[in-house]
Amino acid sequence: MTARETIFAAIKSALAPLPEREPRPAVAHGVADAQWLADETDNVALFVQRATAVGTMCFRSSSDCLAWLFEQQPARVFIPDELRDVTAKFEGIVEVVRSYSRDQVDEIDTAFTPAAGAIAESGTIILTDESTPDRLAALAPWTHIAVVRKDTIHRSVADALAAMPDDPNIIWVTGPSKTADVEGILIQGVHGPGVQGCLLI
Amino acid sequence: MAKQLIDTYVAELPPTVQKAVHQSTAATTEKRYQLLGDDYADSDGLRKLAGAIRQHTLEYLDTYLAQAEESLTARGAKVHYAVTAEDACQAVTGILQAAGITKVVKSKSMVTEEIHLNDYLANQGIESIESDLGEYIVQIDGDHPSHIVRPIIHKTRGDIARSFEREGLGDYNDDPETITRRARKFMRGKYLEAGAGITGANFVTADTGRLVLVTNEGNSRFCLAPAKVHIALVGIEKVVPSDADLSLLLNLLGRSATGQQLTVYTEFINGPRRADRPSGPEQMHVIFVDNRRTEVLASDCKEILRCIRCGACLNVCPVYRQASGHAYRSVYPGPVGAVLSPLLAGDKFKELADLPKASSLCGACNEVCPVDIPIPDLLLRLRNRAHQEHVPSPGTPPMAGFALLGSHPLIWRSAMTFGAAKDYLPLDRLPVPYLGAWLKTRTLPKWRGGKFRSWMKSRHGRNGGGGK
Ligand code: SF4
Repeated sequence: MTARETIFAAIKSALAPLPEREPRPAVAHGVADAQWLADETDNVALFVQRATAVGTMCFRSSSDCLAWLFEQQPARVFIPDELRDVTAKFEGIVEVVRSYSRDQVDEIDTAFTPAAGAIAESGTIILTDESTPDRLAALAPWTHIAVVRKDTIHRSVADALAAMPDDPNIIWVTGPSKTADVEGILIQGVHGPGVQGCLLI
Repeated sequence: MAKQLIDTYVAELPPTVQKAVHQSTAATTEKRYQLLGDDYADSDGLRKLAGAIRQHTLEYLDTYLAQAEESLTARGAKVHYAVTAEDACQAVTGILQAAGITKVVKSKSMVTEEIHLNDYLANQGIESIESDLGEYIVQIDGDHPSHIVRPIIHKTRGDIARSFEREGLGDYNDDPETITRRARKFMRGKYLEAGAGITGANFVTADTGRLVLVTNEGNSRFCLAPAKVHIALVGIEKVVPSDADLSLLLNLLGRSATGQQLTVYTEFINGPRRADRPSGPEQMHVIFVDNRRTEVLASDCKEILRCIRCGACLNVCPVYRQASGHAYRSVYPGPVGAVLSPLLAGDKFKELADLPKASSLCGACNEVCPVDIPIPDLLLRLRNRAHQEHVPSPGTPPMAGFALLGSHPLIWRSAMTFGAAKDYLPLDRLPVPYLGAWLKTRTLPKWRGGKFRSWMKSRHGRNGGGGK
């Protein structure tokens, strides 16, 4: 018998004696939405509020973003081609690289990548392999800024799950990387970005 | 006097550790409570619904597991099955050897703890590094996690600083920020040179084959960015029917585990990277592990398989708070461990049969459990099993005397009449060991017994015998 057969046979014989089985409960869409969500009317405002609450910096315009970035004095900023228009003003002010390579993991300390969407309820940014092909670019730099189109913001976690794209890798980012492993003290930037940002367009 | 084994751990636990465990578990419990209250009018209803989803999945596990396998296979992942821990370890080694990989990074996974994967790989000459900060510290110390969500809840920053110094990660420095930066730097190198990333999974959806991984640090993502091969070890019970069910489960998991609406990184993976993409593993292997889960499914404690490993029951448990995790002598501590560990122990059940007794049955674990597992009931069923299997039970006072009293009204009545005598007896000096131990830290109240019957009688008379 293969391992698969052994396991399925064991499951079947474990379940056989049950007089009846638990029926599948109806899970209404949005059953676990936060109760305050119903009062919110503006998805973008809610997203900004929730994202800020989990420690994601939100920029409403590329000039705001540039002003902030300039102060950080980044060593090298990765901006892929498809974001050229959004970040046109950045050229010449910070050092921009157009391709992300592993040899530069330590030099590129800031990266912009397009997001696939966002979730207002939880202040979450959604990245996919389609939107951010190089997973490392959104993860390894100290600062990661996701560029979110306002019309891609889902209202709730449930809405985002109902609209999951067909992509082998989808990641929801709700704040900067963090840990409280050492004596429960919160530290940001463990493996992923210490600064997580979002530029709304 | 014979003590319960867990008591000896409590006695040896340094006060600093006990304080740290208590503070951290109490704080997390409070955060959880706050957030659930702010966000939901009826969080109890949601727990029950989540419990019903998990129970339903378990009772149709053959259907959903087969469906998950089909969904994964259709998307290019390779699905394997492992009956025992040894089988699972062998499957991992086989995949690594076939790909010529000798270095792997791991993200935190309870099932890999359960099958002792790291030791196995080390014996095969494969370097396997834990990437979660807490798990890494546990690994370099040759220690064991003491909490399922906060593995080093029992360590101080000084302990960690000494371990880092010993491992050559820099001079002694106990600043948590410095510790974290050093781990970041060290781990970077490991991620980039690893041939494979090994993960667990918090859920697997049957309809789309998505493996769901949640972390706060971002380590699982890092394990899956540069590596060529992804191996996921997944307990067969982790399946849920559909993506839609995740809305409930994910919302409850983060809130219950750490008091977060969502964990920072929630990753959904259902296949190797597509050909035109620059990063991500080319191979995805999913190993579904039984390791006695089907035995648990066949037992009268199958509800424990609903568990989503949030750790809320540990945080709220008065026994865990006193004893910390190592006292449970197994991978799963706390109330969930008191049920699951003896069940997963197989023919070593007897060695862990004391764990179900390490509970006051206060019910707090059931109240916080996001999938509504009736842990106290399960503990009682396991106590019963231990009794049936004649497992000796040190630390339990012989109750035969009380049984006699309690089942013979006449003896009971006279005992009540003479009960007041206890106030004048030097009880702590009687040669009854259990009594002596009990009285060491407690004083009995003055005897007020024996009056209930006459009170009841007089009341009966007053109400004309009808009562209310
Ligand atoms: S038994 Fe319930 S409360 Fe405990 S870890 Fe599992 S899901 Fe969480």
